[in-house]
Amino acid sequence: MEFSNFPYLTAILLSCVFGLLIILFLPDEKKQAIKQISAVFSGLTLVLSLVVFCTYDTGRAGLQFAERVTWVPSLGISYFNAADGFSLPMILLTGIVFFTGVLTMRELELRVKEFYALYFLLVTGVFGLFMSFDLFFIFIWYDVSLFPMYLLIAVWGSTRKEYGAMKLTLYLLAGSALILPAIIYLHVAAGGTSFDITALMRPGTFSPFQQKLAFLLLFIGFGILAGVWPFHTWSPVGHVAAPTAVSMVHAGVLMKIGAFGVLRVAIFLCPEGWKFWAPLMATLAVIGIVYGALAALSQTDLKFVVGYSSVSHMGIVGLGLSTLTVDGLNGAVFQMFAHGIMTALFFSAIGYIYDRTHTKMIPELGGLSRVMPKASGYFILAALTGIGVPCLASFWGELVVFIAAFKTYPVAGVSAVGALVIGALFMLRVVQRAFYGPMQAKFAHLADIPFHLGIPRMILAAVIVFFGLFPSVLFDVIDSAAVPFMRGLP
Amino acid sequence: MAGIPFGHVLALSGILVALGVACATARRNLIMILLGVEIMLNGASIAFAAAALRWQQLEGQAFVLFIIAIAAAEVSVGLALIVHLYHRTGSLDPEKFNMLK
Amino acid sequence: MTYPAAADLTLTAAIAATALPLAAFAVILLLTRGFPRLSAALSIAAISVALVCAGLLLVRHGHLETPLEYSTLWMAGGDIVVRVGFLIDPLSLLMLMIVAVICFLVQVYSLGYMAGDPGFARYYAFMSLFAWAMMNLTLAASLLQLYIFWELVGLSSYLLIGFWYEKFSASEAGKKAFVMTRLGDVAFFIGILLVLLNFGNLSILELNSPRAGFLPPAVVTVSALLIFGGIVGKSAQFPLLTWLPDAMEGPTPVSALLHSATMVAAGVYLLARLFPFFSMSPAALQVCLAVGAVSMLLSATMAMVSRDIKQVWAYSTISQLGLMIMGLAAGDYVAGVFHLTTHAGFKALLFLCAGVFIHACGGNDMFEIGRRGARHLKIPMICMIIAAAALSGVPPLSGFFSKELILAALAGRPSPIWLAAGLLGAFLTTYYTFRLIFIILFPRGEAQAKDAHADGHNSEAGYRVMAAPLIVLAAVTGVLGFGGHALGRFLLQGFPGPVPGAGHPTWLPFAALGATAAAVGLAWFEFGRRGADQVGFVERVEPLRELFRRRWYIDDAYRWLLDHVLYRVFSAFCAKNDQKVIDGAVDGLGGSMAAAGRILAVLHTGSVQFRLLVVSVVLILLGLYYFVYPLN
Repeated sequence: MEFSNFPYLTAILLSCVFGLLIILFLPDEKKQAIKQISAVFSGLTLVLSLVVFCTYDTGRAGLQFAERVTWVPSLGISYFNAADGFSLPMILLTGIVFFTGVLTMRELELRVKEFYALYFLLVTGVFGLFMSFDLFFIFIWYDVSLFPMYLLIAVWGSTRKEYGAMKLTLYLLAGSALILPAIIYLHVAAGGTSFDITALMRPGTFSPFQQKLAFLLLFIGFGILAGVWPFHTWSPVGHVAAPTAVSMVHAGVLMKIGAFGVLRVAIFLCPEGWKFWAPLMATLAVIGIVYGALAALSQTDLKFVVGYSSVSHMGIVGLGLSTLTVDGLNGAVFQMFAHGIMTALFFSAIGYIYDRTHTKMIPELGGLSRVMPKASGYFILAALTGIGVPCLASFWGELVVFIAAFKTYPVAGVSAVGALVIGALFMLRVVQRAFYGPMQAKFAHLADIPFHLGIPRMILAAVIVFFGLFPSVLFDVIDSAAVPFMRGLP
Repeated sequence: MAGIPFGHVLALSGILVALGVACATARRNLIMILLGVEIMLNGASIAFAAAALRWQQLEGQAFVLFIIAIAAAEVSVGLALIVHLYHRTGSLDPEKFNMLK
Repeated sequence: MTYPAAADLTLTAAIAATALPLAAFAVILLLTRGFPRLSAALSIAAISVALVCAGLLLVRHGHLETPLEYSTLWMAGGDIVVRVGFLIDPLSLLMLMIVAVICFLVQVYSLGYMAGDPGFARYYAFMSLFAWAMMNLTLAASLLQLYIFWELVGLSSYLLIGFWYEKFSASEAGKKAFVMTRLGDVAFFIGILLVLLNFGNLSILELNSPRAGFLPPAVVTVSALLIFGGIVGKSAQFPLLTWLPDAMEGPTPVSALLHSATMVAAGVYLLARLFPFFSMSPAALQVCLAVGAVSMLLSATMAMVSRDIKQVWAYSTISQLGLMIMGLAAGDYVAGVFHLTTHAGFKALLFLCAGVFIHACGGNDMFEIGRRGARHLKIPMICMIIAAAALSGVPPLSGFFSKELILAALAGRPSPIWLAAGLLGAFLTTYYTFRLIFIILFPRGEAQAKDAHADGHNSEAGYRVMAAPLIVLAAVTGVLGFGGHALGRFLLQGFPGPVPGAGHPTWLPFAALGATAAAVGLAWFEFGRRGADQVGFVERVEPLRELFRRRWYIDDAYRWLLDHVLYRVFSAFCAKNDQKVIDGAVDGLGGSMAAAGRILAVLHTGSVQFRLLVVSVVLILLGLYYFVYPLN
């Protein structure tokens, strides 16, 4: 057993679990109490993630906040949590999206208790995955975060919710079905004594052939979750079907799990495979960037537009991961963070608009800026972030990824940069159609976001602007993991 | 060792099991199906007891005790379910309970 | 950064000038949206301080042999180091001063122009955002920093053009402006990446230093051309020129500030900023020269047939920006920058005067404005004539001197075609300018109202607030031309690039003046004289008029590409591919699975007893198997 002072990471997990238990033991009717308890516990996780983020020592390479308890010694499974520069932004992101998601759903009336219980379960899995350094646990957490998703979408969703939920679950289970054999294969290939990533990533553990094989399985398996083209179609459908907070977690965090899995498992364990398959990754990523933007151009549903823009933006993450450089990793992780916050803001704003207008079809909207200046403002801010306007978080991620991509794959880099124009076109088109134009009489009576519902959106907007102005806060953290990792490669 | 030959006992247990199967598959009443299952279990128990005697090993008798205990539990749960079903539907016909199909 | 900020007055002033508008923007947007007057006061206070700081910097560094550079590390990760800071040299000081002055005047003017608008506070917030971005762009020390603020001025332009977002055309124009400039910016960005990759440094000073001469010439040419792509977008040059006339959908003060004097001039500023770098590639300069000439002539022809007063000035802006680019590309740094300076003054003045007329007459149509009696508005009418004369290059106004310098530079080129183009441009410019002036001065048909004040015009106070900036700008336009030599000396201090040779053919000023006079005469004959039917010679030729009015069909080409290629082909393909091919395959897989299951499901009757029977039968069969084939 090994604990470095206070076990913050376990504390984050426990505050999720405690929240879950307390919600389960509250009676159904106490909706207000359930919402308050959820807010308190998700707030607690956010505070703890912030503490972890702020107390992380960027000057010290390697793992921090490590906690290890051996669980099944004969197979080498241990409960091994730690944080490094890659996982910290993700933990912070999850904390922010979790908390704001809980606050966004304050108007929920249908099966409140079940909703929050499943939501807490989902986030527990997400947190666990980001913290874990044990392959076995990573797989467990992956599945823990998938299953609540099905119920959350199928029960509380909208627009073909059963289809969306089923599709999402099947796709992600297909991913899981690729990951599990790969993990077992690696476990056995390394002698069958360890699931510990830090031990398995020592150079020479796996032969190049083993790495290439396992990398491909892991890349596709996790890539499905990251919305890699052509395995992306679950994502727009799922986004559209999911209820607001679930869309936020789904696009904001769940897709990051995929990219993070590619980084933490595939790239960490199989660097030879990484180098071998990188051109494929880059190709798929660029196709995803361009394709997602093009497909978004002709969507008529607000959430579909955001869904396809996510495919495009996650392509940028994939491009960053494929460049085999420190910059690429830096930019990819930064973009993961920025994209998570941005889509959370998108869906949060859309959620409010949909609650009030009961439509998210762009042709039926229009002129909302006059009725709901704040709600529209949040959406427009998110859209501008998506376009890559400087001083908003996404810009830096894109910038760094493009620089790295330009060095490694000039053609891919240029095409990805060119897709920025299409990105601007579809985002502004949506903004214009849905929010500009004369006010419609049928919406005239609607109220703008009141203060208490505005808090989560304000937090997200503030985070976007903060990291847009001070990207180094995040880059320093990521860099402290990326540089040693790349240096450690043979 | 005098007494009933082993083969006879086996035949008896075989007949009991066959009767149980016939009862459980042919009757259109849940209680009779449950009875059929019980008869099958008893048939098996007799075979176990006889085998324990034949080879002078105690495990056979232990199995018999086990089966009796399990059967008791099974009957109580099964009957409870049947009573519940009867309350809900007013019927004991197994053909009616096909909602899982 | 090792400079203690408080001790260094220059740095403090630069920080104050660049940061205060941002603070005003944030405060207005977050706190004072509900208080229009307070918001305007905050914004104007911020820009006034910035103006004072800019003035202070200019005075303090009137003699500046070596450029000052302050920079601090903003972000570092891996191989990428982003530094931000200030580059203070004559060019940036001059531009800073121009931006601060015009921003200040336009914000004061807007007090009257935008009075009573429901979005008054929002307007001032966006104006502050623009001021912040533009000042930072001006002082940017590295190309990346410049790009960041370049994008931000584009953003504020988008927000301000679409300020009246309830009008479809306004939001459409905003979108068009953003996307078209984005097109250029992508080229710019790739150019920056190319420089970064080959040169390893994005500092503007480094790029302009002789060190950049060690780069392969092909790299210099390609990256210069790519960067020029950004200039084409931002300064609305050919072929990305059609967004600027549409941008006139924004409030007129916005057009005056962003779309004539400062933001669109940022493109020219960038060219001047990187002038030594561009000079290393004669091929790139040749392209710039050609693009400038084509844009200048094309937009001048468009201006000749327009009836919309703002559109005329917008085309004229494109044309003059093209002229500046020609001047710079012809190798005369001072000429281009000087024209940029004078143009900022008189073009802002033209727009602001047009704004007063539009405000008073309630329309953009110049015939309508004339009929409504705009000539009775004395101050704006006189100011507009002064500015128009400056635009046409009538001595002794500022435009005369700066145009003269550019023409001289063009005359220095080996090929005479550039000078011919310049003179033709000057002729056309004067023609359409005076066409507009005469149409407003001598309206035909019944005057509908004797005095524009009569028909629901704003209060006298609003008029006076709007008039004050006009007078200031008119005065500047009157005297600025004589400062040309001083400006040239100031600009060339510590200038690393080639200094253009003085001396041009003595006949040149006369040729230019002759062209101007001929154009004024032609305009007088067609529009001014008593009995003229006010139809220009171009308008008499139907196909020509149609060609010019449709903007040489450039817009139609873009529209076609967008609708028929991008939407119908690519976008529809991707969306359909998702629905039909990928989803179809996946759903088909799922469907066939389900069908297979349904076949096997026949065995599943749902009867408990049936299952029991099956179990028994299987067991009996197994038993028989055991007896028939003994396992031993």
